[in-house]
Amino acid sequence: MSFLKTSQIKSPWLMHFDCGSCNGCDIETLACLTPVYDVERFGIINVGNPRHADVLVVTGTVNPRNAQILKNIYSQMPDPKLVIAVGACGCSGGVFRDAPNVLGGVDKVIPVDVYVPGCPAKPEAIMDAVVTGLGKLKGILEAS
Amino acid sequence: MNLTTFYLAVAGLILAPLLGGLVAGVDRVVTARLQSRMGPPLMQPFYDVGKLWSKVIPPASNWQGLFVRWALVASLASDVLLAAGADVLMCFFVQAASASFVALGAFCGSSPYSKLGAQRELFQLLAYEPVFLVAILCMAKVSGAFDAYSFMNASAQPLLFKMPLIVPGLLFVVLVKLRKSPFDISASHHMHQEVVRGVYTDYAGRDFALLEIAHWADVVVVLWICSFLWATSVVSMVATAAVFLFAALVIDNVSARLTWRHMLKVVAPISLVLATANLLWLYME
Repeated sequence: MSFLKTSQIKSPWLMHFDCGSCNGCDIETLACLTPVYDVERFGIINVGNPRHADVLVVTGTVNPRNAQILKNIYSQMPDPKLVIAVGACGCSGGVFRDAPNVLGGVDKVIPVDVYVPGCPAKPEAIMDAVVTGLGKLKGILEAS
Repeated sequence: MNLTTFYLAVAGLILAPLLGGLVAGVDRVVTARLQSRMGPPLMQPFYDVGKLWSKVIPPASNWQGLFVRWALVASLASDVLLAAGADVLMCFFVQAASASFVALGAFCGSSPYSKLGAQRELFQLLAYEPVFLVAILCMAKVSGAFDAYSFMNASAQPLLFKMPLIVPGLLFVVLVKLRKSPFDISASHHMHQEVVRGVYTDYAGRDFALLEIAHWADVVVVLWICSFLWATSVVSMVATAAVFLFAALVIDNVSARLTWRHMLKVVAPISLVLATANLLWLYME
């Protein structure tokens, strides 16, 4: 692979969006940045700007109000991009899936590449999801 | 201009950004170790720039591309000027122009964070540029000329012994140019910031990659000028630059909540007074 393609695998900048999470998965996502887990060793940086992001980590259920914001953030990210749905709520709507204001999981609004189950999802599982997503991206880049 | 100077200028043009990238890598590894983390690989900044270069995204404003390219040209030009032994004062002004282009580009964007970051960037320029200028004037006074080669061949005795009071000022300049402190201005990779990525918020894709290269070139210029303080040999110059870099990293890590107001009201005046006192002392000597 060329240097530019390798760089895309080795420098995933991550943006975290809380759709409607109880904050359990958010805390676990932020825990990945602490010295215990230290995701920066994989080149991962948590950015606050979708224009700089390569990976969108979404926690919580999607409802009609935040669906628009989620679509907006997703559309502002440059291609190629990955979406990771974290937690039971992000994957399917979890225990809230039948609530009248809940549309369901993140995949009801934007395409999801990796699902991370758990309530809340473990930091190790979130990191594993990013690495799995990068494996998928590598396959796409090699094929192109 | 003779052929040797030309070769040195070309070497400065090519090596300075590479060295700057390496400095950024060392910065991230050392910072991670100071925070009990393992940190990214040393080559991580190069991967980041490679990744940004491969991302195609429309600019937030058509003017931004122009300002980014001018910033890159100015930053690289300041490295070339130093490598070719040109006027250090000219190098200083060209480097300041580069910083202004970055702020102007950020003003063109639509994000309020970008505009706020650009305003604070101008405050930052106001704070460190006078200190940097006085430090260069001190060096010129002792070495008797303004060209870089005179600074490097001033005397057998390092310049530091005649200008100890400019060290806090230069350290302040390094800290600002590394874009790490103050936290409410910084555009660094670290999370201690409040305006997203400050002046960098609206830059993305290739423009952002070019801006990173310009930043590396800027850091090399500043560390190079700091290394004039102990320019008895190449090794001592590299060691001096390393000491300044490491001191800046330590200060950044122990003062993660330093604000731009504190920088403007306390750090800038104190370091400017100290540097000016040193300059007056040199004139009265």
